Amino acid sequence: MNKKSKFLDITKIVVIEILLFFLLLIFFKIESVLILFVAVALVVLVFIAFRIYKKQVQSILNLFALNRPVVLIILLILLILYPVLSPIIIPRGGTYWILILIQTGIYIITALGLNFQLGSAGMMNLATAAFYGVGAYTAGILSLKLGWPALITIPVAGIVAALAGLILFIPIYKTKGHYLALVTLAFGLMLVLAADNIEFLGGPQGLKNIPSINLFGYSFLSSLGGLHFYTNYYYFVLLLVIITVVIFHRLFNSWVGLTASYIRDDEPAAKGCGINSNFQKLLIFMFGNFFMGVAGAIYAHMIGFISPPNFQFTQSLLIVSIVIIGGMDNILGLIMGAFILVVLPEKLRVITEYRIMLYGILLIATLIFRPRGLLPFGPRKYESLLGFRKGGRSDVE
Amino acid sequence: MSNSKKRIFYTENIEMRFGGLYALRDISIDIFEDEILGIIGPNGSGKTTLFNVITGFYKPTAGNFYFMENSLNGKEPYEITERGISRTYQISRLCLNLTVLDNILIGTYFRQRTGYLSSLFDRKKLLKEVEEFKRRAIHLLEVFNPGIIDRLYEPVGALPQIDRRRVEICRAMIAIPKIILLDEPSAGMNPDETDELMKDIWKLKSEMENVTIVIIEHDMSVISAVSERVIVLNFGRKITEGTYEEVCNNKEVRESYLGKEFVYE
Repeated sequence: MNKKSKFLDITKIVVIEILLFFLLLIFFKIESVLILFVAVALVVLVFIAFRIYKKQVQSILNLFALNRPVVLIILLILLILYPVLSPIIIPRGGTYWILILIQTGIYIITALGLNFQLGSAGMMNLATAAFYGVGAYTAGILSLKLGWPALITIPVAGIVAALAGLILFIPIYKTKGHYLALVTLAFGLMLVLAADNIEFLGGPQGLKNIPSINLFGYSFLSSLGGLHFYTNYYYFVLLLVIITVVIFHRLFNSWVGLTASYIRDDEPAAKGCGINSNFQKLLIFMFGNFFMGVAGAIYAHMIGFISPPNFQFTQSLLIVSIVIIGGMDNILGLIMGAFILVVLPEKLRVITEYRIMLYGILLIATLIFRPRGLLPFGPRKYESLLGFRKGGRSDVE
Repeated sequence: MSNSKKRIFYTENIEMRFGGLYALRDISIDIFEDEILGIIGPNGSGKTTLFNVITGFYKPTAGNFYFMENSLNGKEPYEITERGISRTYQISRLCLNLTVLDNILIGTYFRQRTGYLSSLFDRKKLLKEVEEFKRRAIHLLEVFNPGIIDRLYEPVGALPQIDRRRVEICRAMIAIPKIILLDEPSAGMNPDETDELMKDIWKLKSEMENVTIVIIEHDMSVISAVSERVIVLNFGRKITEGTYEEVCNNKEVRESYLGKEFVYE
């Protein structure tokens, strides 16, 4: 009996996930603006239906929450299958959507780094794109001038971005609150200006012909089983996103996350509990920056061309919006935010000039209707990604 | 008086000045091991300022203070907490969005032995430590109010005022300090809750061996019930100290509370 209901549950999850996956693919496929609006209207209708059938929706959400390992494994399988299915279902532009998903992945890594600073520890960093640029330029210079392989340049780029954060942090070690935001803002503008003017970094022309990633003799430019070479990057970024998610999930569910939350919510109280908050903030800042640098390096290697406009303030704003809209200190919310803010504008190419405005509208709407983001952080349960550890629940209930 | 007990903390002529205002002047006090010390005084007499100086939030403009014969001058709050002085706040300083459990566990901060690396690569070690501290937190809650244990994973903001106070006391206790400073624990409570609070303070005392409790209070019933010794402050100066009865009969104390004309010889 029990086994049977378990099987039924799993079947339900599989069906729902596959359904959602194909809906997403169809959404990618739609090109006509009119159909797109119909699709958006449908989504709105679905949301209204959710309101009406609250109980059923809640039971499905519970089903997902209780079977987290199954949900994640199916999701992983679907994500792995995506590059194979995409060209079949979307004959025109299938590879384009792979590229968009790669970009989403890169943004997720960057935003996770920022989320650790902003969402977890309450440190506003408006130089996100600049630190991402530091990573990109480091990888570019190291591979162009010194011929280092990507396997080394990517982590080194992360470390350099972290060190840039250290340099930024020294003068503001003892300032609080909004000063940090202001200093990072200035720092970001400065870095872009510097890249624009330093001949060694290519000036306004940027760096060209950055070599693609070559992993143990396997060039990422070769086609993987007849698929476009982007597929290599897709899997690479997917792997890195998974690693990053695991890292930040583990940190959230540990003393590190708890310390960060306390510093965010009440720094004097944190000090009163024995926390050396300045030093902890420095560590958090550098750790978050590391991931921005890594993301930048992947971008540089994939696109092969970087220039200062790629790393401007508007980019930082996009990443900040992902964190705020998605949900502070919540990884799932952040991933949803990244999808909304990266994929949606691609669909709205028609109104391209107003895209920045869209971010603004979304941001304000979020702050009015869901001030803590789509999915705000939940209780810290010191659990693992695949669900409760054994016996972890019994002592609570 | 308390001469048989060991002196663990003392100040020498502490002065705390904000511009031209002397919040504390010439304060020399001793705190002994294993006692309950009450600090009273009218509004603005410098009680909370004294706590802020002891815990390092304010740096005194003159004078010295020592804990276990080590100078605490110029030490940061986190260093002082680490040496064994914990406190609660007049306006409770809990993170209301975080869970009850988190708010207590943060008190174990400087006893934690797992940092970034173990959090990422050695989950077993981390979870063992979390389990251990969680057991301790549950044990403390059992002493104060077992009802809170069912609500460990609820945000602390969902608890009533008195339970928040208790959580705050647990946060201070879980660090196993030598001295606990309670800054007006009965603030904002009704008489029934104040009664419960007094019981809590006794529980606290019996739960931890050799702990010193220093308590600021406006509610004289709390002070008379729990404190073994009382220090009276007024206008930033120490007027007198002694047992509750001694202090109550002191003329200067009566003057400071009631005004000169109401004090009968």
